Amino acid sequence: MNRLRRFFRTPEAIAGANTLALLIVMALAAPLLFPGDPQAIAGPALLPPFQDWSLPLGTDRLGRDVLAELFHGARTSLAVGLAAAAAALLIGAVVGTLAGFAGGLIDEALMRITDAFQTVPSFLLALAFVSIVGPSLGVVVAAIALGAWTGPARVARAEVLSIRERDYVAGARVIGMQPMEIAFREVLPNALPPVLALSSVIVAAAILTEAALSFLGLGDPNRVTWGGMIAEGRAVLRTAPFLSIVPGIALVLTVLGVYLAGEGVVESSAVRRSLS
Amino acid sequence: MTVLAVSDLTKRYRRGGKPFAAVEAVSFEIGQAQTLALAGPSGSGKSTIARLVLRLLEPDAGRIEFEGADFLALSGAALRARRAKLQMVFQDPLAAFNPRATVARVLDDPLRIHGIASHTERPHRIAALLERVGLDAGLAQRAIHEISGGQRQRVAIARAIATRPSLIVLDEAVSALDVSVRGRILELLLDLQSQERIAYLFISHDLGVIRAVAHRVVILDAGRIVESGDARAVIADPQSAIGKALVAATPRLNRNRP
Ligand SMILES: Nc1ncnc2c1ncn2[C@@H]1O[C@H](COP(=O)(O)OP(=O)(O)OP(=O)(O)O)[C@@H](O)[C@H]1O
Ligand SMILES: [Mg+2]
Repeated sequence: MNRLRRFFRTPEAIAGANTLALLIVMALAAPLLFPGDPQAIAGPALLPPFQDWSLPLGTDRLGRDVLAELFHGARTSLAVGLAAAAAALLIGAVVGTLAGFAGGLIDEALMRITDAFQTVPSFLLALAFVSIVGPSLGVVVAAIALGAWTGPARVARAEVLSIRERDYVAGARVIGMQPMEIAFREVLPNALPPVLALSSVIVAAAILTEAALSFLGLGDPNRVTWGGMIAEGRAVLRTAPFLSIVPGIALVLTVLGVYLAGEGVVESSAVRRSLS
Repeated sequence: MTVLAVSDLTKRYRRGGKPFAAVEAVSFEIGQAQTLALAGPSGSGKSTIARLVLRLLEPDAGRIEFEGADFLALSGAALRARRAKLQMVFQDPLAAFNPRATVARVLDDPLRIHGIASHTERPHRIAALLERVGLDAGLAQRAIHEISGGQRQRVAIARAIATRPSLIVLDEAVSALDVSVRGRILELLLDLQSQERIAYLFISHDLGVIRAVAHRVVILDAGRIVESGDARAVIADPQSAIGKALVAATPRLNRNRP
């Protein structure tokens, strides 16, 4: 309770949490408010916003309802962002724990692999991966995670290196616990807090990467995405700029909201740590 | 019967590029239900010996025989299985447990790992272990950080005896406790020793405590043994300079009880 109150003390955290809540409501409400196919034609093409109140944000080049697309796009952005970040954190935590706990050659090998992934720009990696495997939601998630796990891996490894010297790890060895159980049951859970602190940045970056992939036409073609909407609108940027501006604003607000809310969480737990 | 026989144990580290011996050619034996104390100034190698004996560190030279068999020859699953008989209690009872653990989990682990009791039996075993070390069985569901330091050290002892060991290494196991709690923990250790025939390798810088619990004492300085013998005799009349200094630094010795 205290922690919640501390979280809501900074205005940035409040703004971030509200944006995030709005986004989640949009994503959850999309199939209820706009039950049909958001890619179906709903009216005349290129209807400007605020003209027809049954299509408040107007229509795009093909006559699709922009508001419906926006809501369904929030679903995709959030799902891909969260899934990719979760996958990146999981891979990173496991690789970092193995490297830090095993030490020696295994550590050396895993960290060289991490270096290799880190030197390739993560967007190029995602681009190459989707181009080869083909665009679908799962592939996009995997492609983004592929470029995002190295940060969590490094943080997890550093934390594990300090935890493995603690008495309780020696104690686990003394009672005959297997190394894998020590690494994943005793050490990993205690190494997680600083790894999880990275999650807001990773989610925000994942949402941006997904939008960029979709913008380049490498998103899942069966789903509405904000990046895809911006790309669609680009063709009529002079005559109907709102088609690019509306999803663009949604994207910026989302990324900002995720980031601010995440910072709020980190800050409130940091305060707690320094108080105790 | 000899439980543990250590001979010429040596462990070297590098300090500023030069090798130095944290433990040098140390030999001693502990018999069944015996207590051997290791005493010595800070940095004399006591904890290093403890960690070597427990195979938490590998020695550079020397032999460790545990219950008549070469303990250094074991590895992997065979070593893990053997660990049931050789347990440890750490100095800081808070650092010695996973901060997320509950009392029940801490005691469940050794029972599960060594297949001592079935899944359904284990809660009863845990309750019995808690009662054996003088704790309420209701403590089992508490988190480790929710019990007192003295209770925590009793849980550590309960965990150490869960697998019916023949030797327990206690590295400053009572040093962090206040005097009255310390006295009761020492009584518990003596009681366990006489009932279960457990041998102790008892590390302490407090000669008063050593005199109360140990049969024999080994005094170390800079990794080497400088004096050893019957605990009371050595403390009453130390021969080495380090032994004399340790006695002089323990004013409570002038009283007859620790
Ligand atoms: N990992 C290590 N690397 C280098 N030197 C070490 C290492 N571990 C211990 N030493 C050194 O070995 C010596 C013995 O240390 P040890 O911890 O065994 O002493 P101790 O007798 O337990 O001291 P205390 O009473 O303070 O606990 C010390 O000089 C210490 O600095
Ligand atoms: Mg020590």
